[in-house]
Amino acid sequence: MTIAMIPMPIAARVAPTLAVEGLSIDYGPVQAVRNVSLAIAPGEAYGLIGESGSGKSTVAYAVMGYLNSGRVSGGRVVLNGADVFAMGERGLEAVRGSVVSMVFQDPMNALNPSIRVGEQIAEGIRRHAGLDRRAARKRTLELIGLVNLPDPEAITLRYPHQLSGGQLQRIVIAMALALEPKLLVLDEPTTGLDVTTEAVILDLIADIKARSNVALLFISHNLGVVARMCDRVGVLYAGTLVEEGRTDDLLQRPHHPYTRGLIDAMPSVTAAREMVGIPGRLPDLAQVPDGCIFQDRCVLATADCRHGVIPMETIGPGHSSRCLRWRSCATELAPARPAVPRASLAGMAPRLEVADLTRDFPGAPLFPFFRSRPVVQALRGVSLDVREGETVAIVGESGSGKSTFGRLVAGLDRPGGGRILFDGRDISALARARGRDDQRDVQFVFQNPHSALNPHHSVEAIIGRPLRLYLGLRGRALRERVLEILTAVRLGERYLTRAPRELSGGEKQRVCIARAFAANPKLVICDEPTSALDISVQAAILQELRRLQRESENQTSYLFITHDLGVVRQIADRVAVMYLGEIVEFGETADIFTAPQHPYTEALLAAVPEIGRAEQANRRDMRLEGPLPKPTNPPTGCGFHTRCPRVLGPLCETMPPKQSKAEGHWLKCHIPIAQLRRLQESG
Amino acid sequence: MSTNDIPLVAEAEAKVPPAVTRGSRMGKASRQTRGMLVSDVVLIATLLAVVAMVLVPGWIAPYSPTEFNPAVAMMPPSWEYPFGTDEFGRDILSRVIHGARPTLVVAIAGAIMGVGLGTVTGLLAGYAGGRTDEVLMRFMDALMSFPTLILATLIVVMLGSNPVNVIAAIGIVFWPRSARIARAVAQDVAQRSFIEAAWVRGESHAYILFRELLPGVLNVVVVDLSLRITYGTMLSASLSYLGIGVTPPTPAWGLMVKDGQQFIQFASWMVIWPCVAISVVAVAAVLAGERLRQILAPTERGN
Repeated sequence: MTIAMIPMPIAARVAPTLAVEGLSIDYGPVQAVRNVSLAIAPGEAYGLIGESGSGKSTVAYAVMGYLNSGRVSGGRVVLNGADVFAMGERGLEAVRGSVVSMVFQDPMNALNPSIRVGEQIAEGIRRHAGLDRRAARKRTLELIGLVNLPDPEAITLRYPHQLSGGQLQRIVIAMALALEPKLLVLDEPTTGLDVTTEAVILDLIADIKARSNVALLFISHNLGVVARMCDRVGVLYAGTLVEEGRTDDLLQRPHHPYTRGLIDAMPSVTAAREMVGIPGRLPDLAQVPDGCIFQDRCVLATADCRHGVIPMETIGPGHSSRCLRWRSCATELAPARPAVPRASLAGMAPRLEVADLTRDFPGAPLFPFFRSRPVVQALRGVSLDVREGETVAIVGESGSGKSTFGRLVAGLDRPGGGRILFDGRDISALARARGRDDQRDVQFVFQNPHSALNPHHSVEAIIGRPLRLYLGLRGRALRERVLEILTAVRLGERYLTRAPRELSGGEKQRVCIARAFAANPKLVICDEPTSALDISVQAAILQELRRLQRESENQTSYLFITHDLGVVRQIADRVAVMYLGEIVEFGETADIFTAPQHPYTEALLAAVPEIGRAEQANRRDMRLEGPLPKPTNPPTGCGFHTRCPRVLGPLCETMPPKQSKAEGHWLKCHIPIAQLRRLQESG
Repeated sequence: MSTNDIPLVAEAEAKVPPAVTRGSRMGKASRQTRGMLVSDVVLIATLLAVVAMVLVPGWIAPYSPTEFNPAVAMMPPSWEYPFGTDEFGRDILSRVIHGARPTLVVAIAGAIMGVGLGTVTGLLAGYAGGRTDEVLMRFMDALMSFPTLILATLIVVMLGSNPVNVIAAIGIVFWPRSARIARAVAQDVAQRSFIEAAWVRGESHAYILFRELLPGVLNVVVVDLSLRITYGTMLSASLSYLGIGVTPPTPAWGLMVKDGQQFIQFASWMVIWPCVAISVVAVAAVLAGERLRQILAPTERGN
């Protein structure tokens, strides 16, 4: 077999902890992973980047010796000198935990909900290391301390549901470290977490790496995370390793069109530049195309790329690319364009005006006649306006109330208090109780396109429904309009008869957007519309949304709910930052992203991992520690004071004043703007 | 060395198919049997035979099911009478063939009625939730607390013993059971965003129930129906065994078992053949339901 061996980096001249050699794995006819080679030296962090379907998780599981229904059709995995596939079940059991261990994406699934977490850690130590109860307990407490959880004694007695996502992930990391493995496999360890929690977990992993000689295999789709954590990076596309190199080298000077595409698709919080999606979709891996795996989506592809085996070519020390035209990458691919700043919409008429909106969720008693559980205060007086043709982003972490806000405006729920005015009319009622025009004017795009489309309806029926309902279109007129919209979201006529299951995630979301836009709405509420999609698809969907807004007849406004600050910077005209059911800062996008800011906004921004943001690693003073306060009993005064890195003292327990640094901007903080500026500019 | 926590956790995770298989439809399709199998041919042939027995028994049956012929009373199976004859010399084969209609029409009609009522109730309860759900399902629980056969007997005896009332009895007995199944599925489907999307559009409850929710419940309902037909066959046979509903000389299968049991020691064929018929129909209906489920299940599971 002609395996294009990747030149070992200098550090790996010592025996590597992990060597994957020409690994190929099939699932039935699907050749999910083909000829992947990589090596990780002791103490090295290797990032494996890929989108869904790239085979990155398959590789991660294969390293642990788990093949599931897969079959190894070539190559081997050498772990600490031993061939993983030759070990047998017993050998693997001995190796798992002590030589290699894994941290999963969802910590809630990785822990047994009915056993105290301390016991879950200790059990593994007792069984594997043969320690007695007391020694295992001592080691457990030590491990919990190691992952920076306060009060280890108390933590050991908790059940998983009593801990937050970040705390659970630390417990899982503690479990993984229990037997001091040589290799830690991290499969998207922070993907389900809020950005501030993610930052803290990444700090922890970086600390562990610095303190021990453990090698890391870090699987992620997030280039920013990988840039921050890893020494070397491999880029996996459709089961093929397409580029590999030192992190800064590869991310600053990518030499594969796919890597370059991924970087261009990343929304950036630091600079406003145009995001560019990667057109096309993954090839069918049941019939792997001849030649380059990326040819169909590549702008550089020539006739040579369409046949033969494309070798991994060395392009520099430790940097190699599986591209025949890697020399052209830097020159022929268009450079990133700066985003075109949009004209201010300050003069436009307000379309949506929300005043003092509140919503409580009363805790129903667990049993009849018993005491009710405490009331969850999801929204605590939110005021906001959206102008014609404007995009207002609501950004916040889980539990901030941003989704509740969107649902109230959409009429999925009724507010407890306050007013929602739309074009001057009160619409604080359920969608069904609103007038036909209001129903037509306010549309919603859901977070998860996979569940937002009825699997039993065709694309034509789905997009046609609002047209039938609001405009009474039938027959030819209906079909023509459906086709028009379908074309507007770049899906052709052939999609009309398709069922949702025949669409990719991005295509599904386009259908959802088409449905929302079918009857020319005036306000579209987008609830995390791209968080379930790959970043190459996300960029395309966001572009589509902007184009539709530009071209819309009635100056469609967006209420854009998201947790992703990069997306906010790229798409929003104004931004509202929410924390615990309140808006803490509101203003033009440019004002939100420059100092001085509300300390919470500052902390959010400091937490975002991004390529080429080395300074953020030093912003550890802006990490948010401690749990989010309970929404049943929010802190008095400034809701953020319990976690605020810039907290002043008892003053913060009183209501903070509204301050403004620019036209149309305000933030709620006790620290005067001038002092905030001084504090934030000194770093 | 024994397992420790970490691998155990990993194993639990690993059971979930990795991302790669999720993306591609080929992997699943090849393992799942969506095409025709030999067993399908047998199944279809059996179902066709049963349908023919219900529709045109006179064309298939070699003899009259009711005409007495004392000369050949209680003959064991032979070439002339493949299933043997009963105490009046009637051909068992002909009686089994003619017995299909009174047995199955009642079973199928009863099952359709029960599953129909149950589906509507379950959809309503699962969609509305809250108090509506509570009231409907407690009523269903009350119905379900009666033992099947006792409730059915009670209804037929109260309403009068005729086929229509037997159908009603079977329908009422199956109603709460189907309602529970439909409600469980409806609750699950009602969680999905496309129901909320319909809400935001301002759709009527009826549209959401029957256009959005029902199609998602339908594949389970169809399977449920095939099972209910099986139970219905046995329930209607039990009722006629008890002497309720269908009356002699109509050759219902349950009735044949009842009549034959007094001779079971020296003419076991009189009981065995109607039992075989009941079993074949029951098994065929279950298998057909299982295949339907496989065919109707959406290939790709949305997350």
